[in-house]
Amino acid sequence: MTELKNTHLSDIHRKLGAKMMPFAGFDMPVQYSSIIEEVKAVRQHVGVFDVSHMGEFFVEGPDTYNFIDFIVSNDVKNVEIGKAVYSPLCREDGSVVDDLIVYKLEEAKALICVNASNIEKDWDHIQKYTNDFDVTMRNASDDYSLLALQGPDAEKTLSCLGFEKELENFEYYSAKKIKISDFEFILARTGYTGEDGFEIFGCHAGIEWAWEKLMTAGVTPCGLASRDVLRLEVAYPLYGHEIHDEVTPLDSALKWTVKLTKDNFVGLEALRSYEPKFRLVKLSIEKGVPRQGYTVENEQGVVIGKITSGSHSVATGRGICLAHVEKINFPSDKKFFINIRNRRFEATYHAKAFVQGGHK
Amino acid sequence: MSLIKENLKYSKDHEWILVEGECVTIGITDFAQSALGDIVFVELPEVGRTIEKGTAFGVVESIKSVSDLYAPVSGEVVESNTDLEASPESINESPYESWMIKIKLSNETDLSELLSSDVYQDVCNS
Repeated sequence: MTELKNTHLSDIHRKLGAKMMPFAGFDMPVQYSSIIEEVKAVRQHVGVFDVSHMGEFFVEGPDTYNFIDFIVSNDVKNVEIGKAVYSPLCREDGSVVDDLIVYKLEEAKALICVNASNIEKDWDHIQKYTNDFDVTMRNASDDYSLLALQGPDAEKTLSCLGFEKELENFEYYSAKKIKISDFEFILARTGYTGEDGFEIFGCHAGIEWAWEKLMTAGVTPCGLASRDVLRLEVAYPLYGHEIHDEVTPLDSALKWTVKLTKDNFVGLEALRSYEPKFRLVKLSIEKGVPRQGYTVENEQGVVIGKITSGSHSVATGRGICLAHVEKINFPSDKKFFINIRNRRFEATYHAKAFVQGGHK
Repeated sequence: MSLIKENLKYSKDHEWILVEGECVTIGITDFAQSALGDIVFVELPEVGRTIEKGTAFGVVESIKSVSDLYAPVSGEVVESNTDLEASPESINESPYESWMIKIKLSNETDLSELLSSDVYQDVCNS
């Protein structure tokens, strides 16, 4: 087994009393106080996550956006410089390598942020396509730390870092380079909680400086466990759960990220003719916790799907989950039952996310 | 450092046991609630059910995990703390007040296998 990596802030987390757990090869803070308190802090005020395990690739060169537009399924090229784009990364057969965010920093330079567990896999996959484009790529994952500052108070909290002047016309899914206190940062108005918020990329020393400032300002440190509840409440997919090597984005409610009208991209041909096998549904139950792997049944008791992510919603007090239901067995009456320890619980079907996040 | 009360007995499964004659009250320890984290669901047996030492008598679910509750002694359930179903978080807040079930002991020799507070302290430290 390879040794667990620390983020630059790991010792600080331990001193704060965080419970640490291995995640994607890193020893990561899972929770500091309580998951419920951390979720509430982000929904009502502001919380900060150390997500330095995430991967950062820089793409540079005249073909930067032709190249990225070719490797991802969403439209990157027609989005303005200074904006960010969420997209799946697919193989030729349409299956999902990863999901990522492209930050359009400059005319000929972009940052791609990928999931920690997929850094090597993504790098190898993307490298296969560089030859036809005038671009250079750099894996900067070890050089960057990353904080996610999330919650309705995130914007005003940024003044404790001196970032307040940077926020004019800086709407949701914007990104730019900034320099504060001799540190260079990439500031992006993105996140994974459904709330307004920012992701701050920087060198390790700069991020440590920012973390300490945020702690002094009273921002709640939050761990990966609350992050998972927050993203599930707003029904955001997570790699390894809703999307993985065996499904396409069209199986997981990500049709909006697959631009079949683009001239070309890796996976286009396969996705054009693909008949989805699954529908991703949002279900909740009044009591108990639906968990990953539990089966979903129809009214007659036939197994028609499986939970991909489940948890307890802090906002609604209900058990919530996302589940892959076989498309051919999708019940027209939308009656779903979840099997928990051999007992059937009737679930409520949700057309919308369990919680409406406050992001602008 | 988790709280351990001297007047209680313990199981290696991190339950506390209050013995009053043949009536035995069972809950989970401070160590257990802290390890589980935010508890959001409890499933307890009905009054009148007979439970057997070493078998699961209920379930406690935190946001992170689901855990069976194992009976430290055999007996008949004479009371079940259904209040916990409405406020499972009270187990986190006050584990030694949040009793789960009361059992009428069927075999007194079961008690001899319970751990003292000192021994349980060692279990938590190991």
